[in-house]
Amino acid sequence: MALLRKEPKSEPTEKWEAQLRKGCLELAILACLWEQRLYGLEILRGLEANSNLVLAEGTVYPILARLKEDGLLQSEWVEADAGHPRKYYWLTASGRQKVVSMAQFWNSFAANLNGLLKPVLNGKGRS
Amino acid sequence: MNSMTSSPMIESYFAALATQLSDLPQPKREEVVRELRAHVFDRLEQITVPTDDDCRTVLKAMGTPEEIARQYRVELLLSRSAWKVSPWNVLRTLFRWTLTGVQGYIVFLLALLGYTVSASLYLTALLRPFFPHNVGLFVSEQGINLARFPGPPPGVEMLGPYYIPFAVVAGYLFTFATTLAIRAVVRRFGKLKEKVGALMPSA
Repeated sequence: MALLRKEPKSEPTEKWEAQLRKGCLELAILACLWEQRLYGLEILRGLEANSNLVLAEGTVYPILARLKEDGLLQSEWVEADAGHPRKYYWLTASGRQKVVSMAQFWNSFAANLNGLLKPVLNGKGRS
Repeated sequence: MNSMTSSPMIESYFAALATQLSDLPQPKREEVVRELRAHVFDRLEQITVPTDDDCRTVLKAMGTPEEIARQYRVELLLSRSAWKVSPWNVLRTLFRWTLTGVQGYIVFLLALLGYTVSASLYLTALLRPFFPHNVGLFVSEQGINLARFPGPPPGVEMLGPYYIPFAVVAGYLFTFATTLAIRAVVRRFGKLKEKVGALMPSA
């Protein structure tokens, strides 16, 4: 309990960041699959290279499972040289539609917010 | 490293994961384990001679079996609309959870209570045509009674012919409300755990 009580100071930003990550992860995963079918680890590599969205690698898989349940992804086991098969994922037609509309939303959303943030980041306070 | 040679550490990790996931149907569980196993072996193959420390690092990067299982539970249980979730699935999932701690146990009891009330309402709707004098919405000074054997419950029956539709609708709403409540609690506890997790030193 003592630990929990100490926390609130840093918590709001951490929580905000975690929620933001979580919300973006789904879009990022779908976007990784735009050009080709990939297996879990390849998706993770794509995410690692282009974002810092992933905290625990294992958490990508439950999201993939749900996206599949939702009909946005399809998957298939493929034998590989590695000696064990890998599960490849690709976008379904509705997955493609969804990622396009998510990307469009993100773009206008981010543009608006960036406009708002410009004065903040320029650092010229009105003091 | 030969792709399928393993170490006791890796085996115990996946044994723990399989146990944690036992609320999923067996084929699904096996597929999840197989997929994550492929991930771990792919990671280890990048290292020429993996040591125990390498295994530990790779498994740590995955996250704990508890955390991964919780994520599956959250993603697969919360993503569906509450209308489509069957109480049986919710109870199965929660029962699994009871074994991991007191929180899960309390939530399970709560769900069981909610669904039992719901089932009782359905049952009274079924019994009503056969026992019109024993079953109904009897309101008296002592409270509300839905059924009593033998002999009519105290009080006055309020609904007459409307009892059956009432009981069916009320039973359905109770199921729905219980599912919604459980999902809210699962979400909350999930966050609580993340909070506590955030306090632990990370890798």
